[in-house]
Amino acid sequence: MNTHKKHGFWHRYFFSLDHKDIGFQYMLTIFLMVSIGGFFAYVFRMHLAFPDMKVPLFGLVTNKDYNMLITNHGLIMMMWLALGMLLAVAGNFLIPIMIGTDDMAFPKLNKISYWIFLLSVILMIASFFMPKGGLGVGWTLYPPLSVGDFGYNTPYKSFADRFFTANTFVLLAIAFEFTSLLMGGINFFVTTLNKRAKGMSLLKMPMVVWMINIANLLFMFSVGPLVAGTFMLLLDINVGTGFYDAYRGGDPLLWEHLFWFFGHPEVYVILLPPLGILAEIISVNSRKPLFGYKFILTLTLIAAVLSTMVWAHHQFVAGIDPRAATVFSIFTIIISLPFAGIILAYIATLWKGDLRFTLPMKWALGAVALFTLLGGFTGLHLGASVFDIYAHDTSFVVAHFHYTLFPTVIFGSFAAIYFWFSKFSGRKLNQTLGNLHFWLTFIFFNGFAFPLFLLGLAGQHRRIADYRQFEFLMQDPLPLYRKIATISAVILILSQFIFLFNFIWSLKRGKKETENNPWQANTLEWQTSSPPPHGNFKVYPVVNYGPYEYNRPDKDKDFTPQNEI
Amino acid sequence: MKIFPENASSYGGEVDFIFWLITGVVAVASVIVIFLLLYPVLTRRRKLTKTQRYQKGEGFRNLRLIYLGILLLAIADFFFLYKEGPTWTKIEETLPDKEFHVAIIGRQWLWEIVYPGPDGKLYTADDVKKINQFYMPVNSVVHMDIQSYDVIHSVFIPNARFKQDALPGRNITRWVKMTKTGTFPLSCAEICGIGHANMKATIIVQNKEDFKKTLTKLYKK
Repeated sequence: MNTHKKHGFWHRYFFSLDHKDIGFQYMLTIFLMVSIGGFFAYVFRMHLAFPDMKVPLFGLVTNKDYNMLITNHGLIMMMWLALGMLLAVAGNFLIPIMIGTDDMAFPKLNKISYWIFLLSVILMIASFFMPKGGLGVGWTLYPPLSVGDFGYNTPYKSFADRFFTANTFVLLAIAFEFTSLLMGGINFFVTTLNKRAKGMSLLKMPMVVWMINIANLLFMFSVGPLVAGTFMLLLDINVGTGFYDAYRGGDPLLWEHLFWFFGHPEVYVILLPPLGILAEIISVNSRKPLFGYKFILTLTLIAAVLSTMVWAHHQFVAGIDPRAATVFSIFTIIISLPFAGIILAYIATLWKGDLRFTLPMKWALGAVALFTLLGGFTGLHLGASVFDIYAHDTSFVVAHFHYTLFPTVIFGSFAAIYFWFSKFSGRKLNQTLGNLHFWLTFIFFNGFAFPLFLLGLAGQHRRIADYRQFEFLMQDPLPLYRKIATISAVILILSQFIFLFNFIWSLKRGKKETENNPWQANTLEWQTSSPPPHGNFKVYPVVNYGPYEYNRPDKDKDFTPQNEI
Repeated sequence: MKIFPENASSYGGEVDFIFWLITGVVAVASVIVIFLLLYPVLTRRRKLTKTQRYQKGEGFRNLRLIYLGILLLAIADFFFLYKEGPTWTKIEETLPDKEFHVAIIGRQWLWEIVYPGPDGKLYTADDVKKINQFYMPVNSVVHMDIQSYDVIHSVFIPNARFKQDALPGRNITRWVKMTKTGTFPLSCAEICGIGHANMKATIIVQNKEDFKKTLTKLYKK
């Protein structure tokens, strides 16, 4: 086992091979990306509610700016925040320590995957500063528009003219990011299979480790077509091929299929790790075993398989054969069943439990409630192909996916950060600031996203810079809804500064965490010191119990660490 | 307060019905989920008693209530699918006999509406083209050939509950039957570049006599 040495700044943030340090590097990089994505959201929300206003810190928003802002907001939040936070950060921080080992199976590969991730971030940011400006085609990058501002008719003069465009850079960034996540994912997978502590059978693994690995498998399965599609689109832009050009034998629908064949499983890639995080937190804070561990696992695997068969529900009115849409509609509606089972199992864990309303528990309960009630259930509306004819590409869809993604990605990440912060930093986060942060986020997220449902039902289509040209969208009370959404979004974004302050301040000055196991949890990461040394454990743990043995009848105390003899 | 814009097409009501049907069932399900979540949250707060049970949720007997929940949702799901199937077939998969036929062609950033000329046939030399003005006879099945010159656009008629993407290289024929006269907006629902926000057309639904007059006026120009 390695001895713990104090390393300097450069070593810790740039060259360290320790999985915790690499996880922290990912996290800081993602914080940077989220700040950019959040700032973009602030600018275009302000513009939507107050179209003539010079947005503070940005200025007047033109149509071109607006398209660029929404596109990059979507790309950053989906590709860099959601995928990065839940695969790379969660996987790096949690997998080795929760399965009781010292590090990843391939620490150097792990380091390289971070470097490639950083490269993708640099390419993405560089794309904002291209001569023709940032990319403004919607985050789904549908060709022909993503080939150039005028589709295949875009007058490009030279190769440099083609290459130094936001289109090329964004596609390269996505390709590099997926390479990075693939390398990271292989590492997680090998680590989980080969480096588990003695005695930890697969069914004694914490749920979050399972979920991250299933998400990874799903990612690996679905990402191939999109990388191929990205490469073809790069060739279309830079070499002048016509894979998606209908006038040269190509087909723009091809991209939509390749994109959504990845894009829909990606939603579940994003969803599963937070579901695992919620399982940990709900079980610990209910002092009860996770209800139906194997049942949840089976349903997750079923959902993972089903999720590869639903992609065309994004394309009901995109020009696919309407008869095919029926099949996808059926699968889409059916995929609600395994998730209903998982959510019910979490609720069953709460019942007859001994609930502790700690901060992570509040985030977890908020996530379950919002995800189920407004994210999941509106999925039925959209999965029913008939209503999707009307709701497709309206704000209803925007509201739906913010209600599915925000509770899982953001609430889930915050739950995880509030839960594991003391373990990885050795200090406590301030509880008062944490409570304030939770309630502001919870209230103003709803204030932001709920009006979008009503706007969507009123027929407000997406990605429009200025709704004043559409009289029917300016009737009362629609402008008021837009203002409520905007003001809530701004407060939502501002309240994240509370978290940022709390995070940075607590990292340096927070109260020292004296206990190794403040939540009285069972899993292995709580059985070592806070923060864990390089190598995680002084002695490799030997696992005798499952991860959720709370209130075992044969024990006096209400928890039984996995490595207890 | 109106939730939807005024419905003016023959099938719009059915689309709204599907929405209200799902919303109704989901509302009942939401009440159940809210109860299931709130009951333990309100009653089991910091009860440091030893009444907790060591329940692992294994085997069918322990999971029976969850299976019941899944079964109920499955019944609801298939009920939706059963209800919406015929509407989908009607709107998307079938084409009733046409009474009028136009081509609607998206280009950056306007809609070209191509009317058949005096010979009554589309795609002949005497076709008439109008920019952003879509005249339609009331209570008649109108076939729309939806096409695009350059990038993907999307024909969105909120009052008809109709939407269809326009793809370059494809001709997608769909139909609409407006039941009310008046003017209705037609917008582009798929991002198509800088002018996307400005891309809109007006649908002018007229009674059959007025529509005939409009057509003759169009032919004269």
